[in-house]
Amino acid sequence: MPAVIDASKCNGCELCDLYCPVDVIHMENEVAVVRYPEECWHCGACRQECARGAVSIEFSLAMLSV
Amino acid sequence: MSDRPIHDIETDVAIIGGGTAGLNSAMAAAEAGCRVLVVDKANIVHSGAIAGGIDHFMAFLDTGEKWDTREAYLGYVASVAKGAADLDVHNAVYCDELAAALKRIERIGVSLRQSDGKILRTASMGQPGPYWINFNGKQLKPKMAMEIRRRKCTVLNRVQVTNMYLHDGEFAGFTGFNIRTGDFYRIRAKAVVVATGNTNRMFNAQTGNPFNLWYCPANTGDLHRAAFDVGVALANVEYVRMTIVPKGFSAPGFNAFFGMGAQLVNALGEPFMEKYHTMGPKAPRNVMVWGALQELKEGRGPIYMDCRHLEKKDLEHLFFTLGIDKDTLPDFFRAKGYAKNGAMIEMTVSEPMQARPSELCGSGIRIDRTCASNVPGIYAAGDASDQMGCLHMGFAGGFAAGKHAAAYAAKTKALRPLNAGAMKDEEARVYTPLERKSGITYREFENVVRVITTDHFGPVKTETSLTGALEKLDRLDSAKAELKADNLHELMRTHEAMNIHQVAKISALAALARKESRFQPFHYRADYPETDDEKYCGLMVIRKQQNGEITTHLDRLQYAI
Repeated sequence: MPAVIDASKCNGCELCDLYCPVDVIHMENEVAVVRYPEECWHCGACRQECARGAVSIEFSLAMLSV
Repeated sequence: MSDRPIHDIETDVAIIGGGTAGLNSAMAAAEAGCRVLVVDKANIVHSGAIAGGIDHFMAFLDTGEKWDTREAYLGYVASVAKGAADLDVHNAVYCDELAAALKRIERIGVSLRQSDGKILRTASMGQPGPYWINFNGKQLKPKMAMEIRRRKCTVLNRVQVTNMYLHDGEFAGFTGFNIRTGDFYRIRAKAVVVATGNTNRMFNAQTGNPFNLWYCPANTGDLHRAAFDVGVALANVEYVRMTIVPKGFSAPGFNAFFGMGAQLVNALGEPFMEKYHTMGPKAPRNVMVWGALQELKEGRGPIYMDCRHLEKKDLEHLFFTLGIDKDTLPDFFRAKGYAKNGAMIEMTVSEPMQARPSELCGSGIRIDRTCASNVPGIYAAGDASDQMGCLHMGFAGGFAAGKHAAAYAAKTKALRPLNAGAMKDEEARVYTPLERKSGITYREFENVVRVITTDHFGPVKTETSLTGALEKLDRLDSAKAELKADNLHELMRTHEAMNIHQVAKISALAALARKESRFQPFHYRADYPETDDEKYCGLMVIRKQQNGEITTHLDRLQYAI
């Protein structure tokens, strides 16, 4: 998982969805969801824009292991 | 299909691609008094190559040093980008625009200075002096987007452009769709600036994930393909660009490491770049990649960025600046367990991509000194053009393109019409993958393209390998009729995949015509391993003629400097 959103911290402001340059974050029931985690560029735009600190970055097994 | 909303929009200057170059084009066209429309596949606040930040800008500053002048800079361009950089265009679109570009960055609210008020400059990539200005550009893209709003440009975010149209041989307009609502757009403009970057996801990536890339994976050659189809000439597209990236994460950082004095070493602990270039680790990028590939191939890998000798304050600055250029890279290094002190960071060679062979040129639409293509009304800027690359040229040259497009629009009396039949056909073509219940996914199709390109020219090429690639890529044409998309996100990806496939063919065809090697390994013909300036010092221009035939010819370049 790349960008990971803590649903309990998300206030539904939609900024991460709005600004993701690769369209991987979508709103579902007023909570931001990383719908296409395998297409994340790890650019950090979502984390930069989140005022609630709900976005963290995790790296895949391949990225950490190869 | 008929119930999809259709929007007809008219403007003076349209900008396709709202990255660095596109937004500067928009600023210039708005300043000239034009109605400006910016169309971006994402949102211009965070889109394109610097979506997450940037930390370096190349410039000469006329400080009195002999390397710090326009002439010295052009001499540098000639020495490291020979055969790919057109100095006449550079002089007009970059050198003439540089002073204004530097002022513009600071005026929109991003300082080029360090906290002590001084400009920090570093050298790498064969520069005769420290041309890189290191700065905190984390907010550069959002600030540019604010400037676009301030100048009252119209912005269409989340619209993917699908095709371009001419009328009597001149630019008329383009079509696109909104990737969230599905609405269809028919846009007419007097002039257009194409600023959609290079083509990524075209070759296999190091971890197998095609989105774990150095450059923005949303840049997929959409307008290289569309412009080529209406007869726009492309150049420098035979080059396959690569760099050196952290193992596991294709992130930028190369400049920052070398600028701070880090050493690239092999598994034996030997700094090896001196073997390949007199400038060692400050050699041009293609030489660095070539050296790294040789070490890996000959069994002296893995390779590492040796930071053990750096002083604590330099290391701290390095880790700080790495996070400006790639927001999540410091997190990655922490997750990998690299301590801040004494780090030996494993590196590798990145995925290849269709992009410029040097920082000092571009790869794409062939432009003249007014940023105009061969088709009246179509201009190009930034990585999407054959002459601009990097932040410095996107920023300065993007503005030049906007000015010239505005001047063209001002002397154009009327908008040209879009053919109604062509619009109907395009609407049908665009949405067809949504109607298929079964078929091939973009993931599968794109993977096949990448296996072919990587096997046949990623990066080593021969006439046999390129001919074989073209046969396989041509056979893949029939699979396009089976592509299916389950939603609008997948529809966007499906069109991207088809564009990547077409750009791969164009790149292979151009590579066949250049029977020499240049910027190796970026264009390495194993059957013609030497650089042949007598025959090939110039741009390989490729275009589709009106009868559909694809032709190539060499535009020779002279270097008096």
